[in-house]
Amino acid sequence: MREFMTGNHAVAHAVKLCRTPLIAAYPITPQTPIYEKLSEWEASGELKGIMMRTESEHSAMASCIAASLTGVRTFTATSSQGLALMHEMLHFAAGCRTPVVMANVNRLLAAPWGFWADQLDSLSQRDTGWIQFYCENGQEALDTVIQSYKIAEQVYLPAMLSLEAFFVSHFMEVVDLPEQEQVDRFLPPLDLLHKFDIDKPGFFVPVVSSELYRKYKHMAQGSMDSAKEIATRVDQEFKKEFGRGYGIVEPFMVDDAETVMVTAGSITSTARVAVRALREEGHRIGLLKLRLFRPFPVEALQQALRGKKKIAVIDRNISLGGGGIFCQELRAALVHSSDHPLIYSYIAGIGGTDVTPEVIQKIAMDAMNRFEPFDQPIWVMED
Amino acid sequence: MEIKCDFSSEFVIPISYGSTEVIETGKWGFQKPETAFMTARCQEACPAGINIPQFLYLANEGKPDEALLTILKENPFPGICGRVCFHPCEADCNRADYDESVSIHAMERYVSHAASNHLPDLKPMWNKDSKKVAIVGAGPAGLSCAYFLALTGHQVTIFEAKKEPGGVMRWGIPEYRLPKSVLKREIQRIFHLPIEIKTGIQVGKALSFDELKRYDAVFLSPGAGLSVPLSIEGEDLKWILRGGDFLERINSRDKAILGKETIVIGGGNTAMDVARSVLRLGSKVTVAYRRTRGEMPAIQDEIVEAEEEGARFEFLIQPIKIGLLKNKRLAVKFQRMKLSGLDQSNRPKAIPIKGKFLTLETDHLITAVGERVDLSWIPQDLIKNGLIDVNPFHKIFSGGDAVDQPRTIVTAISSGKRAAISIDLRLRGESLDKVFSKIKVGNKGSVSMEDYILGRNEGEWSEPKSIISYQQINTLYFEHSKRMEMRKLDRNKALRSFSEVNMGFTSDEAKISASRCFSCGTCNYCYNCYFFCPEGVILLDPLHQTKTVDLEHCKGCGTCAKVCPRYVVLMKELS
Repeated sequence: MREFMTGNHAVAHAVKLCRTPLIAAYPITPQTPIYEKLSEWEASGELKGIMMRTESEHSAMASCIAASLTGVRTFTATSSQGLALMHEMLHFAAGCRTPVVMANVNRLLAAPWGFWADQLDSLSQRDTGWIQFYCENGQEALDTVIQSYKIAEQVYLPAMLSLEAFFVSHFMEVVDLPEQEQVDRFLPPLDLLHKFDIDKPGFFVPVVSSELYRKYKHMAQGSMDSAKEIATRVDQEFKKEFGRGYGIVEPFMVDDAETVMVTAGSITSTARVAVRALREEGHRIGLLKLRLFRPFPVEALQQALRGKKKIAVIDRNISLGGGGIFCQELRAALVHSSDHPLIYSYIAGIGGTDVTPEVIQKIAMDAMNRFEPFDQPIWVMED
Repeated sequence: MEIKCDFSSEFVIPISYGSTEVIETGKWGFQKPETAFMTARCQEACPAGINIPQFLYLANEGKPDEALLTILKENPFPGICGRVCFHPCEADCNRADYDESVSIHAMERYVSHAASNHLPDLKPMWNKDSKKVAIVGAGPAGLSCAYFLALTGHQVTIFEAKKEPGGVMRWGIPEYRLPKSVLKREIQRIFHLPIEIKTGIQVGKALSFDELKRYDAVFLSPGAGLSVPLSIEGEDLKWILRGGDFLERINSRDKAILGKETIVIGGGNTAMDVARSVLRLGSKVTVAYRRTRGEMPAIQDEIVEAEEEGARFEFLIQPIKIGLLKNKRLAVKFQRMKLSGLDQSNRPKAIPIKGKFLTLETDHLITAVGERVDLSWIPQDLIKNGLIDVNPFHKIFSGGDAVDQPRTIVTAISSGKRAAISIDLRLRGESLDKVFSKIKVGNKGSVSMEDYILGRNEGEWSEPKSIISYQQINTLYFEHSKRMEMRKLDRNKALRSFSEVNMGFTSDEAKISASRCFSCGTCNYCYNCYFFCPEGVILLDPLHQTKTVDLEHCKGCGTCAKVCPRYVVLMKELS
């Protein structure tokens, strides 16, 4: 069924379709419409589940972890400050190997205050052991919620999908709402192996020795690695069932490109427009969309960028003193490449500043005219 | 913990099926909770040193028999004191600083009745050095001394001048305050112990003082039975009665007929008892006192009840002459007085207003201006200022109204107890001062018999406990409430006979009253420490009155000490 709705509502629909019985959340702009929509459905009975209105995001995540360990599918949504507040619990969720799914609306982090799109909030949590997806539009956000449950519930690691503030969360577009039967077919009920058992009560995650801790972390790393393959497989299954697939990376006009831009999130859709325009002008420019960020799809990227000598990564984030995060990770993935590509780091869209096709064209032109290595991030700011 | 290395295995996270008790978190703390029992202010104020928090706790638990036993350890007359005591305990009750004091007085009375067995299992201890002690006077002091000496295993003989024991309790207090049936039952309790009494024996007549000295120890408690005269003209007229004699007749159920109006001279308890008895005999009464209401030495309750029953009061007048009128009525001439300065006892002094007089007519006049001791049979060296004053190194002891102390029943009981302990110590050749400093209950003169016997059995006495102040009570855990007052007999009905006026508590009223007690300084198993302990290391057993703290797991957070409403838990730093 096709409907016109915001990215936030698309996410809410996906949660309902996945028959999630326990949602624990705290409202924060620009995530609030997700929270409100689910609340509305809970009150009307349309959502057959419980919404826990916790006193903070930290408590929300704590509640999700505990609820998940009872063997039920859980969900939460947050943004920026809220995500930062639950940082400790993000580590805990991964450590408890709970398949919690979270939608994060990428919003800039204070200080100073603001509400607009910036990817630093979710990227700051890249070390917490969560699977991370970056969604280009509302449809993809909806679909990624469904896929995330299937992946997380096989890998036993929590998954978060990010959608940018306002550009995706509040923009309305035509969205294809899957049928309930389709989702039921695609997503089997959760069967958590390590759940609370009142017949055999135990103390979950007690103090362990150093060696044991290392063992559990090693096991988790193995699971996280397998998520690359599992995410690819799930996406293929999804395509089979719903007619739409995304891959974990998506090359666009890369085959014969001399310069490839790498983007994530909504900038990707603008970049598609810019790349087409540049191609019309005769430039051999391509685009690589980065969808899965954790686990970082090293092999897929190495394969997609084989032979490419010039890469321009666009980061809507800045790790002060470290540069754009997508660029950092990509440089590390390609460090052994025999192509020795020049990888340039472009910082655009910080704080929700608009990244127009012109901005992207500017970036492309700048990259195409560089021939020497340049380590520093290049800030793109209108004069 | 079962671990498998394969990441797709069943156990991806550690799950412990053991107990976290193996982690001795107690080692992390630098302080531990200690139970610190303290003495409540009411206990200190009670001349008998009754463990009031304990008896109220037991009453609240629906255990009146045990509550009674608690009182009997320190006071053999709860049924009497619960009726006639001036209850200094209530004046010092910590709860009074919060809202209103606990109804301790009425609770003592309630317990003495609610107990199913008023002759509980009080046995004399076995005393290999049992000695013979003579007691003169079977009033509250003498009977108490006998009681405590008998419990200590000594052989007691009481010599009582009158036909029946009881002293002022029997002959002085009218039945509307203390029914004879109650008195009889309370005294029966004394003689349940092996105590010998010889009534109708007056020392100095049937028995010489020297014969008393043949006993190993002697306790003199003859009371103050002689009425002080007015020493004014006309005092010997037949329509003028002495208050003490009048009350004795009332208490013997003798017929006493009074005219329409009576004047009572005096402001003490005797005056109030006389006035209220007069009302019951159908006569109007005016109480004449030389100072004002604020200086009247009578118990406040008694003054209020006399007023409520219709006694009229005339203040600042003193009789100077009584004359007989032709119609056989009395004309009493009073000197008007005013207050000026202080007398020897620091009370306002009444001095005459020159030239100002008042004459009142009446049918009868009853004097109640004081009682003195009959010292005719007492050796001179034991007398000082009209009272008995014994040499502390002889084997003769004294107490009650005959010595220099406040004249109340409970003070008499206290002196009997102190004398019993003193006698026991003296007979064993032990130091009185040292022991008394250990068994004291607070600093107002009360001592604990229970502590005395405990120390006597163990061969040494422990240090006395400190007194708990209102500031140390955590009032957060108490809701404000009003104290319960006893129901009283309807006034009109009350004045037509000598039936008891106060009607005591019902069991519901008693429960409410007992539950208002803060239980200052005594654990009453409120379970606050247990509920708030974050580690769950506190175990309470009210049945066996024990509290244990699992020190292996107590981290010394101090929460239990903070939440104890009654300052029973204190944190002590570990060395």
